[in-house]
Amino acid sequence: MDVIKVKDVWKKYKIYHDKGSTLKERILFKNRNRYEERWALKGIDLDIKKGETVGLIGENGSGKSTLLKLLTKIIYPNKGEIEIKGKVSSLLELGAGFHPDMTGRENIYMNASIFGLTKEEIDKKLDDIISFSGLEDFIDNPVRTYSSGMYMRLAFSVAINVDADILLIDEVLAVGDTSFQKKCIEKMVELKNKGVTIVFVSHDNNMVKRLCDKAIWLKNGNIASQGIVKDVINNYLDHLNTKSNIKCTEDSKNEINSTNNQVISEREVSIEKEEVKDIKPANKNKRWGNKYVEILQVDMFDKDNKSKHIFISGETVRISIKYKVNKKVDDVVFGIGIFRDDEVCCYGTNTFIDNYKIDKLTGRIDVEIDNLNLITGKYYLDVAVHDKFGLPYDYIKKILSFNVETRTEEIGVVRLAHKWHIL
Amino acid sequence: MIENIKEIYRYREMLKNLVKKDLRTRYKGSFLGFLWTFVNPLLQLIVYTIIFSTVMRINIDKFYMFLFVGLLPWIFFSTSVQVSAGTIIANKDLVKKIYFPREILPLSVVTSGLVNLLFGFIIIFISLIISKIGITVSLVYLPIVIIVEYIITLAFSFLVSALNVYFRDLEHILGIVMMAWFYFTPIIFPIRMIPKEYLKYFFLNPMTPIIVSYKDILYYGRSPDFLMLGISMLIGLLIIIFSYNVFKILQKNFAEEI
Ligand SMILES: Nc1ncnc2c1ncn2[C@@H]1O[C@H](COP(=O)(O)OP(=O)(O)OP(=O)(O)O)[C@@H](O)[C@H]1O
Ligand SMILES: [Mg+2]
Repeated sequence: MDVIKVKDVWKKYKIYHDKGSTLKERILFKNRNRYEERWALKGIDLDIKKGETVGLIGENGSGKSTLLKLLTKIIYPNKGEIEIKGKVSSLLELGAGFHPDMTGRENIYMNASIFGLTKEEIDKKLDDIISFSGLEDFIDNPVRTYSSGMYMRLAFSVAINVDADILLIDEVLAVGDTSFQKKCIEKMVELKNKGVTIVFVSHDNNMVKRLCDKAIWLKNGNIASQGIVKDVINNYLDHLNTKSNIKCTEDSKNEINSTNNQVISEREVSIEKEEVKDIKPANKNKRWGNKYVEILQVDMFDKDNKSKHIFISGETVRISIKYKVNKKVDDVVFGIGIFRDDEVCCYGTNTFIDNYKIDKLTGRIDVEIDNLNLITGKYYLDVAVHDKFGLPYDYIKKILSFNVETRTEEIGVVRLAHKWHIL
Repeated sequence: MIENIKEIYRYREMLKNLVKKDLRTRYKGSFLGFLWTFVNPLLQLIVYTIIFSTVMRINIDKFYMFLFVGLLPWIFFSTSVQVSAGTIIANKDLVKKIYFPREILPLSVVTSGLVNLLFGFIIIFISLIISKIGITVSLVYLPIVIIVEYIITLAFSFLVSALNVYFRDLEHILGIVMMAWFYFTPIIFPIRMIPKEYLKYFFLNPMTPIIVSYKDILYYGRSPDFLMLGISMLIGLLIIIFSYNVFKILQKNFAEEI
């Protein structure tokens, strides 16, 4: 049975530039009320069955909160229909209807009554609400003395205890500490098992995966994908990746331009030496060296020779360095270093360490990494060319940034190949 | 409509809490606070009494009582309507963030005004006894008049509370309207002083039959004109249906307009 039916719903907001809300202004300066229209939702179709838990995901401004507000009837669609069966409880914004000068207990009564509970119903639930919130010691203090997390605990405890058939939650959980979040998730599972329909917005994909039977990805006011949670989230991640891939490429273009323009001070040359991993990031100059050999371009390719800046952990990556020789040199060592965005060096090596002989300088050298088994995160690539004592011809820090995605939830720096055994 | 009334009934606890909160801030929990709310009507009463029994010299026995029994119900009407005008904006936090039937807000304003009026009647009764006008059996009709007034007040409150979201100066315009309305309602003067040819215009004013009935029951100690009261009730119901529907339409954009 469908408890929520949304049929071709459109919603626009008016953005006034110079809004007049008085009779005088509305009559005298009619043309002054010019506004722009912004369509926040463009034809949404949804059916949610009784007892389903649905995760709403999408980028900022994609219309998630708007959809929830429409479902609770805080706002109404410009076009289309919304049909809801059953009692709705919602937690869209924190502390709505809380009076700072009233105590926690008084606010529970006030707030629960705003959700449509009667005195007797609240009396019955009061203990549950207080114990769920974990605020026993503070319950008779005025709410203005609460921290924002405590505020949220109280608000959440009321909203979740009102015995609704449908529960709508915007991303408010994030404020709670880990133990309260855990409690909320347990409670949501409990409600779910009782047959409550839950729709919630989250930017925490793992939580969506854990809780939801169904996910909906909103993109610019449209449903981009809905259905099986894992698929929807992967589609969403793919989209984010391609998007930031474009951005990364632009970023690194800018970076190489700016480094090329930098003046190299000869003094730096003597200070900086040794291998990639010893470079301290504090130095604000990003490029050093006498440019006897000059790096021209660095690219990263996947196994299909496609230039990329987003890789799935375990992928094959080829780093290509193009350079030119400005002055004849005796020996040349090429090196790379991969840093996490918190400056942890994940790996660094060079042709000297690897005992790879450079017998001719062709203007290009590639290094292939068979298995880029880093963990999800943003990384920077340093590239250097120096002599065998480490004196740099050209050293460029953070010449490229790239992202690595894993679709599992491991932690750490690298993924160590492993197997589990039951013995 | 039936659905709506059911829903409002479901939210009765919220209504109760809002009324309680309003009364509590008004009375500050003390008897003195309670008396304090009558300072304003009392001052008005004194001023009008001085002007109209010494300067203008309306020839009415115990003029202050004649005025008093009409003044308090009038104040209930006019303040309720004026406060209602701002109530949606005053509660914009709620309106923007939580669903509840929005009509609860003006309803709570008018209802707490009503509670205040009921306390006022206690003072009126005491004054009637002290001033030796006394109270009569016609008092049994008082609840009917109160109900009719409540309906009419509610009707106007729904209307202005919704309109004020779109036209924010309505609240201020209302101040002037209410002053004029006060003088076009037979509160300070008895209805018999109105020239015959203008009388019908006075009865276009829905507050006229209400005030006249209060005076009949309380000051003259006689039964009100039931035909007049019946018509008044009917008109009250008609305008409340109209204004409630206007409210229901306008409330859809409340969250976006405030
Ligand atoms: N009150 C408003 N007035 C004008 N535009 C609005 C208003 N509320 C939202 N919008 C616009 O509607 C679009 C959708 O906003 P919405 O709040 O639904 O996004 P969201 O998906 O909840 O984003 P987030 O992840 O940041 O919470 C945005 O483009 C936003 O600018
Ligand atoms: Mg949002």
